[in-house]
Amino acid sequence: MSGRARSRHQAAPSRRVNIDRVFHALGDPTRRAIVERLSERPLSVSSLAQPLAITLAAVVQHLQILELSGLVHSEKVGRVRTCRIEAAGLSAAEQWISERRAIWERRFDRLGDLLAEPDEK
Amino acid sequence: MEERTVTHGTFVIERSYAVAPERVFAAFADPAKKRRWFAGGEGSEMEEFEMDFRVGGSERTMRRMGPQTPFPGVALTNDSYYEDIVPNRRVVFAYTMSLGDRRVSASMATVEFVRTEKGTDLIFTDQGAYFEAGDGPKMREGGWSKLLEGLAKELARP
Repeated sequence: MSGRARSRHQAAPSRRVNIDRVFHALGDPTRRAIVERLSERPLSVSSLAQPLAITLAAVVQHLQILELSGLVHSEKVGRVRTCRIEAAGLSAAEQWISERRAIWERRFDRLGDLLAEPDEK
Repeated sequence: MEERTVTHGTFVIERSYAVAPERVFAAFADPAKKRRWFAGGEGSEMEEFEMDFRVGGSERTMRRMGPQTPFPGVALTNDSYYEDIVPNRRVVFAYTMSLGDRRVSASMATVEFVRTEKGTDLIFTDQGAYFEAGDGPKMREGGWSKLLEGLAKELARP
């Protein structure tokens, strides 16, 4: 998550925590890569790890964060742990909130561009 | 009867700009300036922009969602009412967003301008009530990939 954006409100804690966790979870390029691959189909931890240039242990850590955020669900059958996207990870309303934040982030980017121009007075 | 739920969400965005609060405030107060940063882009066509920058004044922007959005061709309307304005210090406004004729959310937004040695810190706090109406499944369907894509861009920044 971007260092300049932080939350400091208490309303509706369970929902808000979830949104914060989702932002945190998706704030990492490796985790986004995992989510993107899982949105195509469920995969075992080892096949998830294969194309990623990181250790199996690191993948497991990323998966734990994704599971905490509610984005990914994993299940162990025998010796194989299989991961899949958790469709309930983001409700439609939560998507709206995430999207709203992104809209304002882009607006403040453009404001920065405008302010970087010489002042016409 | 269709199920309706409300989700409350608050987010805070902080930015630092290397100019004095007077200039940042002017970008909110001057319609020509505000239009440039507030309503551009977003893959949609702007059809209306009106603002009356005073306490009790209102602002309205209407955009038409572009082909890359989950709702191509649908009007996205943003109606704001200015609740408090302290020049160079803060702007507070209440706003609703509607998709077509359906209200999506109602929010209270507070913009604070803090003078710093380097210029201005802007603190934006958005406290919203989001109405999940009948478009939930469609949002889920169209929203996932778009959301991830948007988030990736936003969050990949240092």
